[in-house]
Amino acid sequence: MQKRHFYYLTLIISLLFALPVSAQKRYTVSGTVRDAQTGETLIGATVRIQNASAQSAAATNSYGFYSLTNTAGEYTFTITYTGYQQVTQTVNLTADTKLNIDLKSGSELAEVVVRATDRKNENVRSPQMGLDKLNMKDLDNIPVIFGEKDVLKTIQLLPGVKSGGEGTTGFFVRGGAADQNLILLDEATVYNSSHLLGFFSTFNADAIKDVSLYKGGMPSQYGGRLSSVLDVVMQDGNNKEFGMQGGIGLIASRLKAEGPIVKDRGSFMISARRTYIDLLLQASPDSSVKGNTLNFYDINAKANYKFDDKNTLYVSGYFGRDNIGIKDLFANQWGNTTATIRLNHVFNSRLFSNTSFIFNKYNYSISLLDDDNNANVTSLIRDFNLKEDLQYFSDKHTIRFGFQGTHHRIAPSEITTDGNSSFNPLSIENRYGLEMAAYVSDDWKLTDKFNLLYGLRLSSFSLLGPGTFNTYDADGDVASATKYGSGEFVKTYFNLEPRLSLSYSLNEENSVKAAYNRNTQNIHILTNASTSSPTDQYVMSSNNIQPEIADQVAIGYFKNAKDNTFEFSVETYYKWLQNQIEYKNGAQLIANANVESELLYGSGRAYGLELYTKKTKGRLTGWISYTLSKTERKFDGLNDGNYFPARQDRTHDVALVGIYNLSKRWSVSANYIYSTGNAVTYPAGKYNVGGLTTYYYTQRNANRMPHTERLDLSATLKAKETKRFRSSWSFSLYNALNRKNPYAIQFRDKKDDPNRTEAVQIALFGIIPSVTWNFSF
Amino acid sequence: MKITYIHFLGTLMLAAIGLTSCEKVIDVDIKESASQLVIEGTVVDDADMQTIKLSRSVSYTEDNTYPPVTGAQVVVTDSQGNEHDFVERIPGVYISSFKGQPNITYTMRVKVNGNDYTAQSTMPRPVELDSLSVTEITFGGEDRKVVAVHYKDPADEVNQYRFVMWVNGTQTRRVYANNDRLTNGNDVKDQLFYSSDDDNEEINDGDVVEVEMQSIDEPLYKYWVTLADQSQNGPGGGVTPGNPPTNVSNGALGYFSAHVSRKKTITIRGNGQ
Repeated sequence: MQKRHFYYLTLIISLLFALPVSAQKRYTVSGTVRDAQTGETLIGATVRIQNASAQSAAATNSYGFYSLTNTAGEYTFTITYTGYQQVTQTVNLTADTKLNIDLKSGSELAEVVVRATDRKNENVRSPQMGLDKLNMKDLDNIPVIFGEKDVLKTIQLLPGVKSGGEGTTGFFVRGGAADQNLILLDEATVYNSSHLLGFFSTFNADAIKDVSLYKGGMPSQYGGRLSSVLDVVMQDGNNKEFGMQGGIGLIASRLKAEGPIVKDRGSFMISARRTYIDLLLQASPDSSVKGNTLNFYDINAKANYKFDDKNTLYVSGYFGRDNIGIKDLFANQWGNTTATIRLNHVFNSRLFSNTSFIFNKYNYSISLLDDDNNANVTSLIRDFNLKEDLQYFSDKHTIRFGFQGTHHRIAPSEITTDGNSSFNPLSIENRYGLEMAAYVSDDWKLTDKFNLLYGLRLSSFSLLGPGTFNTYDADGDVASATKYGSGEFVKTYFNLEPRLSLSYSLNEENSVKAAYNRNTQNIHILTNASTSSPTDQYVMSSNNIQPEIADQVAIGYFKNAKDNTFEFSVETYYKWLQNQIEYKNGAQLIANANVESELLYGSGRAYGLELYTKKTKGRLTGWISYTLSKTERKFDGLNDGNYFPARQDRTHDVALVGIYNLSKRWSVSANYIYSTGNAVTYPAGKYNVGGLTTYYYTQRNANRMPHTERLDLSATLKAKETKRFRSSWSFSLYNALNRKNPYAIQFRDKKDDPNRTEAVQIALFGIIPSVTWNFSF
Repeated sequence: MKITYIHFLGTLMLAAIGLTSCEKVIDVDIKESASQLVIEGTVVDDADMQTIKLSRSVSYTEDNTYPPVTGAQVVVTDSQGNEHDFVERIPGVYISSFKGQPNITYTMRVKVNGNDYTAQSTMPRPVELDSLSVTEITFGGEDRKVVAVHYKDPADEVNQYRFVMWVNGTQTRRVYANNDRLTNGNDVKDQLFYSSDDDNEEINDGDVVEVEMQSIDEPLYKYWVTLADQSQNGPGGGVTPGNPPTNVSNGALGYFSAHVSRKKTITIRGNGQ
């Protein structure tokens, strides 16, 4: 039944786009682009016909698949990908042709030229804007705290992306909140992307193949969050030979194994890491530090098998756990679990399909260990997700369409106790939701100069029973309570989300682009803090909470110079936010059945300018990014109903990243960041109640913390290679200038003069040296 | 709890590699604010004398000296129709002789410079403070003594509590407020945690610790719990601070609380008890 549907769709699309040009016979070249050494599919590689009158080109999709159509004739194909050597191949097009390509890694070239070729002018030509792709090779060289290379900390160095704070992986994109980023790992939503409260991210760089961050102009296959999409793809594993890779660091170690299941047909990859901070704590001479728990571990695993040229199956998963505990007092555990099963099916050389079944879960538990006060609190959010995504490639169009359905379950809080505890057992009703979306988009090469990517996404969200659903009066008291049975629809919202991006090439190296997109969001985190917390409370849109809506417009100018050595871009955006959520002062979020009575609703606006210059070739590579921005919120009942700066409103953000290859064995790198301090609320006055100095606040977030400035350095030494064994040493200095950056400001009475008040700045990290030894064989 | 938690975690991570985090006093640029009337009124059941204090707030940059507000008319009436006039004994401190009664609603009326300020508070039924205990815990790399209060929460009503703790006669700089949302009807042990970040001295052997347990009404609980959130979180670390929701009308700061008060004292001895 479903299969027949696809045939009809194919037929309709063929009629729409193939027939009008049938005067001359046209054929399609399609295939997969892979790394010659490992067999990994390459995402976003460019396949180009050079000698056609009208040049045509295609990029490989997330599975390395491409499809190009042209009139009959003899053509020279060039296939390029960042960090790989270009391949040129001649094809005599007389029938639909299968052309699989293996690219050799550029690092096998002599000397220190890291990038032999590039996807020339791709950044200029593509209509996509607001997209940043991370080069996983850069990640090895960029210094980070404790020497643990990290995807999320590296994207914070890009324009328009702001760090959640010192050492954290939480981030804000173009004025959005931290919970407005859709973070996907092999298509599975990662609800909490941080380990140890944000000092590390859940993404183990060893297991990651590709990272794309959409800050705006989101393609219509993505939805559900307002601000950004971070699409992280795991490696497939080497399908040629078995290999191991790992690293031993100051506070964590990593190990990865990969290899063929059946040579050239299937492979696996499994990667794990664990921190051992608590082992160091045990060894500490300070007896009071002993007995505390502080660790995390995670495992990434993936396997794929190619049944034939048309069908490939991928299975991947992630499991991570954090453990924090204080001896005899409390223990806190949390983590994500994801599983993704995908089937790629090539219907024909022009129609590519991917079907995904996805499970993901985030849960935490807190145990209070004092006998008289014992309690165990658990909470979880769980999704089942079915997605069908189709890509149809024709001469001038790439059409993408599909549907997604997600079933959510939130178990807000469950408290159990043992024996004679101060606490009572308590269970807050589960909440169920169904999110559906259908989308279509068209990437249309209108003319040589004019490219258009437009689409539409229809999304719906339904809150489902069973349960009792309350409404609240102005005081937050229950106004009405309605019972719904299992599977009954409590409330449904529909939203149409138009997406549009276009580019106009002034010439080969210069283009202007513009984009508009609307996004909606139905899963909300109740948090007032900048960093993600393991006990973040999730709520869904409901009879009380409306879906959050964002509209963004952006325009940009893109330029390449000196044969792609330099890439330059300037983008400016304006964003309108509706139905934003804050909670009231003194709100009780944990184990509160009426948490929706504690919320305030408002709007927001954000605008900014982003400058980005990147040097991609030569001994010195790196980038400079600068963001000038403002982000504000407005809530009835806060700040007299006037706009106030959001906490993450930082006027200036600068990041400099430089990587210099000194010799074949040594490379050094540095990054420097400067950012305006967070918008915070300082007391305007003070008075005395309850025997204590009490502060009086006037305008919300009208003050600024001191600015943040940091220089990090690192050096990598490649040890002498043997045929099988490679290793390297990474040395890094985090915060090399030992600057005390503000983490928080506290106000208190002066110790030596209690009649005065003082402001105290707390800094988390001074200079931190670290060393990591990495190996592979 | 939040900033303490993250700060603690950072401290542990640094301790693991032999480093420490740090704090320093900074200059902050804060504009002067207009002075506000502050009313702090209580009616308690364990004293024959009730006090209402009137003062004015000062700008952040000034000394912690709050000018008293003199010459005000202060009256408290109760739900049984009694009226209590307050007399100004010392500047800004108004006093009246009567004893507070549980289950009675008190209404305060203050007239200053032609402006009227009113507030209402109901004294809850008494809940007894059974005992105090001391436990030793390890937190943030230090052994600390923590005092706990023990009481029996009544099952048939909603209860709210506020605790005030003095160590050797000095009040600790932390606000404690709790309700029985998760503990209704139980024998409750409530540990009064505080950290030296709040500029408090640690509790040591030989110290005398006094704890007052107040049974307060719901609006006062909201008031204290909002203040408690603030005092544990500096700007940039946790929640955005705001003014606690006062039950006094007409824009005055402070509160009017009719509460039950119970006190106990414990002397700290070696080995945790």
